[in-house]
Amino acid sequence: MKFLSIVQLTFRESLAKKTFIAFMGISTFICLLFIFALNVDIVDGMQSGLSIFGKEVSNQIDLTKIIYGIEGGLSVLLYTAGIFLSLFATSNLIPTLLKPGFVDLFISKPVSRFQILSGRFLGSILIVALNIFYLVIFSGLILSIKTGIWNFGFLWAAVIIVLSFLVLFSLMTFLSVISKNGPLSLMVTYLILFFSPLLLARDKIYALLSSKYFGYFFDGLYYALPKTAEMGAITQFLARGVPIDSWMPLWSSLLFAVVMLGLSGYIFQRKSF
Amino acid sequence: MYTVETFDLTKHYSGGKVKALTNCNIRVEEGRIFGLLGPNGAGKTTLVKTLLGIIHPTGGSAKVLGQPITDYHIHNKIGYLAENHRFPEFLNARQILLYYGKMSGLSKETLSRKIPELLELVNLSDWADVKTHKYSKGMAQRLGLAHALINDPDLIFLDEPTDGIDPVGRKEIRDLLLKLRTEGKTIFLNSHQLSEVERISDEIAILKNGNVLQIGRVDDFISVKSQYQLQIQNGTLSFSELCAGLNIPVLQAEDHYTVTVEDERHLNRLIDKLRAEKVLIKSIVPRKITLEDYFIDVIEEGEAL
Repeated sequence: MKFLSIVQLTFRESLAKKTFIAFMGISTFICLLFIFALNVDIVDGMQSGLSIFGKEVSNQIDLTKIIYGIEGGLSVLLYTAGIFLSLFATSNLIPTLLKPGFVDLFISKPVSRFQILSGRFLGSILIVALNIFYLVIFSGLILSIKTGIWNFGFLWAAVIIVLSFLVLFSLMTFLSVISKNGPLSLMVTYLILFFSPLLLARDKIYALLSSKYFGYFFDGLYYALPKTAEMGAITQFLARGVPIDSWMPLWSSLLFAVVMLGLSGYIFQRKSF
Repeated sequence: MYTVETFDLTKHYSGGKVKALTNCNIRVEEGRIFGLLGPNGAGKTTLVKTLLGIIHPTGGSAKVLGQPITDYHIHNKIGYLAENHRFPEFLNARQILLYYGKMSGLSKETLSRKIPELLELVNLSDWADVKTHKYSKGMAQRLGLAHALINDPDLIFLDEPTDGIDPVGRKEIRDLLLKLRTEGKTIFLNSHQLSEVERISDEIAILKNGNVLQIGRVDDFISVKSQYQLQIQNGTLSFSELCAGLNIPVLQAEDHYTVTVEDERHLNRLIDKLRAEKVLIKSIVPRKITLEDYFIDVIEEGEAL
């Protein structure tokens, strides 16, 4: 009950920021677009015609590929723009918690500091998950009902997107706890989000550097930091029904999140406000 | 059992360069109003925050309601009004009390009964559904007070409770605190309003630069030892001559005399003499100074610290 109230309050605070309302509005717009723009004619249980925005699509093209392609595209959009916007919208939630006069009220309640921080964290994750699942479930349902093609991989892609946000938000939480500065935490998290894919090409970077220690350094960075590019690829593969070669990027990134959260909790526990 | 007990409680920052609190030893008995006084930066808020676990001490220890301050479970019996508290501005008073009440472990049923009562108590019923960003400082303070009382606490920490509140509102809060004391609640009051502290506190502590300069009963501080103020009906008798005969220094004011006696027996000899002379004694009261006078004296004496 006590912990839940912290989650609820964070959820409510996030809703008060108009970003998430706008996010939901865009999602609704995309769903409406699918409702009105995509028309499939079924005759005797077989597809006889498909039109998108009123334009006929050749019967030679496999409808399953089109639906998987649309859902794959949506998952990429959600993974990039969705996470980018979600990080922006949640960047102030932890620094706000740490403000004098605000944090005092939480700590003076019969809840542990760990509960306060994790409640805040979970509330932030839940609001983002709500937005992502809203778009994925409704757009997926519309596409599936209209075409009869059910792609549960799209739903799993949404799970990976939420987990990817969780990983990056854990980093932002850690940075916020140590710096109490929302914009700084956001910038560093964006930097990791965009820098991490470069580490995929670290073999090419080694070739330009003379010392082998640079190799160890970049390898270390690669394994320590969240693997945002690979997680994006996993998301897309799941949505398009492509088999996943390795889950290492996911579990190692989740491990990173556990470490970040553990450190954040430890520092928050020891801080005086 | 003491409601609040500290043992050499210390909080230093920057490796001891900033001494916010040094070897603080205080004891607050149950059902008392304890006033904490001191100039800005004296360590008053640090002490309150340390007792609530918001600030970690660098030395010593403390207990509240018999439990170590590290035990957050005890907070369900504690109310707290923070100085410059910030409530979420997107919520109204009713919602704030609901969320923070839930955080205190109260059920929805209890809260649905308590919230209207508290809003009525702090005169915010008409503003219950208005978002708090529209509140004046005084209204926000009254909401803070309602928040501090939401869990029916045994111990209440109030950091500048009347800040921004008009004189009528201040009196209402004073009356409320006195009522809470009669219910057996202990109130730890941190205030700049010395007259207010003087009126309602049973005990006070004066802090400066993190050190407790004085601690004790308010009456003991503001009563001037061996000095009494007398009002008598003046007849033909020369009061000054009578006092001189008893070796009692006297000061005459417009409507009373102030005498300095050696002890109570010495005072009684004066009274006997006056009665023998058939002088009508209107009143004899120990001379008192204001808490403000005493406070300034103590702070100036502690200047060296």
